[in-house]
Amino acid sequence: MAKLGIHDLAVRYGKLTAISDLSFTVAEGERLFISGPNGAGKSSLLGAISGAVPAAHGRIEMDGDILSGLGPERIARRGLSMVPEGRRIFGGLTVQENLMVGTGIRRDRAAVADDLETAFTAFPILRTRAQAPAGALSGGQQQMLAIARALMTNPKVMLVDEPSLGLAPKVVDEVYDRLCSLQALRGLTLVIVEQSSTRAARVGGRMILMRGGRIVADGDAAGFAAADLLSEAYFGDPA
Amino acid sequence: MITQHRIRRRMATTTPILLALLLLAFVALTLALGDRAAARMASETLIRVTLVVGFWIFAGNSGVISFGHAAFACVGAYVSAWTTLNPAMKATLLPGLPPALAEAHWHVLPAALTAGLVAAALALVTGAAILRLSGIAASIATFAFLAMVNTIWANWTPVTGGTSSVVGLARYVTPWVALGWAIAAILAASLYAASASGLALRATREDEVAASASGIDQYRHRLLAYTLSAFFCGVGGALAGHFIGVINPDGFYLSLTFLMLAMLVVGGIGSLSGAVIGVLAVSLAVEALVRLEKGFTLGTATFALPPGSQEIIIAVAMILVLVFRPAGLMAGREIMLPARWVTGRGTSQN
Amino acid sequence: MSLQLLFDALSLGGIYAIAALGIALIFGVMKLVNFAHGQFIACAVFALILPSTDAVAALGLGLLPTPLLILAILGFGAGLAVAAEALVFRPLRNASPVALMVGSFALGVALQNFLLVLYGGRPKAISLWAGLGAPVRIGPAEVPLLQLIVIAAVIAILLALGLMLKRSRLGLEMRAAAADFGMAQLLGVRANRVISGAFALSGALAAVVALVMVAQTGVADVRMGGQIMLIAFIATVVGGMGSLPGAVAAGLAIGAASALLQAGLPDAARPFRDAFLYALVIVVLLFRPQGLFAAADAKPRV
Repeated sequence: MAKLGIHDLAVRYGKLTAISDLSFTVAEGERLFISGPNGAGKSSLLGAISGAVPAAHGRIEMDGDILSGLGPERIARRGLSMVPEGRRIFGGLTVQENLMVGTGIRRDRAAVADDLETAFTAFPILRTRAQAPAGALSGGQQQMLAIARALMTNPKVMLVDEPSLGLAPKVVDEVYDRLCSLQALRGLTLVIVEQSSTRAARVGGRMILMRGGRIVADGDAAGFAAADLLSEAYFGDPA
Repeated sequence: MITQHRIRRRMATTTPILLALLLLAFVALTLALGDRAAARMASETLIRVTLVVGFWIFAGNSGVISFGHAAFACVGAYVSAWTTLNPAMKATLLPGLPPALAEAHWHVLPAALTAGLVAAALALVTGAAILRLSGIAASIATFAFLAMVNTIWANWTPVTGGTSSVVGLARYVTPWVALGWAIAAILAASLYAASASGLALRATREDEVAASASGIDQYRHRLLAYTLSAFFCGVGGALAGHFIGVINPDGFYLSLTFLMLAMLVVGGIGSLSGAVIGVLAVSLAVEALVRLEKGFTLGTATFALPPGSQEIIIAVAMILVLVFRPAGLMAGREIMLPARWVTGRGTSQN
Repeated sequence: MSLQLLFDALSLGGIYAIAALGIALIFGVMKLVNFAHGQFIACAVFALILPSTDAVAALGLGLLPTPLLILAILGFGAGLAVAAEALVFRPLRNASPVALMVGSFALGVALQNFLLVLYGGRPKAISLWAGLGAPVRIGPAEVPLLQLIVIAAVIAILLALGLMLKRSRLGLEMRAAAADFGMAQLLGVRANRVISGAFALSGALAAVVALVMVAQTGVADVRMGGQIMLIAFIATVVGGMGSLPGAVAAGLAIGAASALLQAGLPDAARPFRDAFLYALVIVVLLFRPQGLFAAADAKPRV
């Protein structure tokens, strides 16, 4: 069974349609990149899966349970976590407090302590700055904090929206490096919005290309550059 | 060829005319009842139209809620009292008035205009400070302004009579006088709303950031609307004083603020028609509730609502409107003639 | 500054700070300027006595032994605020801050008139803790015992609240929700729990103000919450909307300014003290529209 299933999803903002007739599934442990031009509906898709944006139509399932309509608080409890666009760090809280916000849904205190240790090991800078206000971190450090914070809810599926936005290429390498090793360590299913298809190809995984709220291509990220599908998605006729 | 834009503008000009006719019909209807209580209600309602339409000029166009407009009514009422009361009476009631005011014995019309102008001047000065604040903080500052005026008026006894009432104001406000001022307020409000300043201010109401990016000086337009708005609240206060003949500072404090807000919310803050319809709807409801508080007989038994239940019911109605019909009864629409009536042809153009 | 003046300023400012915290807590988590807060205070005062329109108040909850009485009134305030949230503000959860504010104003009017219906409009004498007026000698000054108790209570409440916000789960969630409600929800924080928690705290703080006011004045009056609520509003604006330390600092500052004006103004001008105070605040805001102690992340996001 697929870990995550999207069936006939539609998202509308008033009269504006952001997503229509969207269907795909993600297997357990898979790494799925979602790419496409601005306005393709990538962020709306993540918003709908996480419950932050209501779906106008369609069904979202995780492990066969229906998520759509539950709202973000309960979806987070089901084991789906979000690293949002722009990171949305709680600037006035300390780094460690940021990490602890999402642990309210967990009962096992010892496991929380273990995960905190894992996060500090994966991102040593967070341990060094644990008691500093999170707003004082650099952009790259805030991105790492956002990833670590999402992991502290002990998710099975993690959605990451544009982790490379506004970061230097070297820092992006580092972010993806950690993200991949944490995925392997935790057996996570990852859905990542990434504008740069060359970046996605380098990291490796499956890739879905969106345009105008629909899927125009689906395949191995490495194959996309060769197949010339990208320029079609950006400049060609809508599918 | 008549463009869509010009049709809209012609339709918009019908709004104040229709609202004026509506109020005229309201006066004619209540006077036809021949009931003194009905005539009293008509004058009271039309004074409230002046106040609330004045209030709307600022709140409706800027989207900022002011709690301070009852203070302008307070100032207006006292200015009119100072300038029209019999000098002999002022010597005993208000011994602290400066000589020029103490001897004044004006006609009521210049007094009402002066009441409006003084309120407007006060708005210009205080608004210059208050309106620099962002929306919610500005609302709180207007509340502080209301309390400040009330504190001064309640304690400045030689000039205002303090908390005791000032009596003997000429009771000249008939339904027709009140109708005249209500129509004047409606005309001014629709002229302002259609002016460049009104349009710019409503643009800031929709999206503060975008409007300031497009170079609209929000502060200046807010201040202009605030000042004009205070003029009609000042006049409305003067009318209220001359309607009852007795004024005191608490008559222009929280209850009036609440009533004006409730009318605007119920009718819908988004349109001038909303302000007028809100006054009519709430005034009729208040009238009915006041009669219920006085008691009514059903068969042999007499029922009466306890005093205070009127405010509770209006407040609950206001909350229900906010929850279930947040844009109010009129939902931002204006009362206007349909397009085919104003084009002078059988069909509308596209 | 004389010692007496210092105690006046501290006890007045402390109460203003507690009232301001009650406003700022709710504004922080749900951007609601709660115009019903003054009526929460008035309701907590009237909860001490039995409903009747007689001039002399018969104590109801006020008859309880002091520790129980304090708990009961704090619980009453918290319960009232939580109920108000569930009935009025939850249906308005997605409304604009302006609609929320207007709704709270309507709720305040409804509560005030509800008290009028139940208790009548005349102020009533309440004799509660009469012994607290006794003066205590500290160095050269004589200070009423009540003032010392108020100052001690304010310090204890501020410490407890600070500890609660800093150390407890609910406190962490409230601070996260105040910073970014949507993000907190994405991390599984329950909106209802956080908002109810904020209202409960705010209502309990209103009850503290009510108890202090009753002890100070010895009367119950339907209008008694209005003036202190206004000062609390001003403190939250001066402190920077939603900033809790700012609200406390501004509350203390306004208390100090108020005590100084009371002592420094000539007799003829004294009734206008509050008018001077409000004018002072408008002047302060003219120079610092974002408040004196504005929080770094309080600026609107573009």
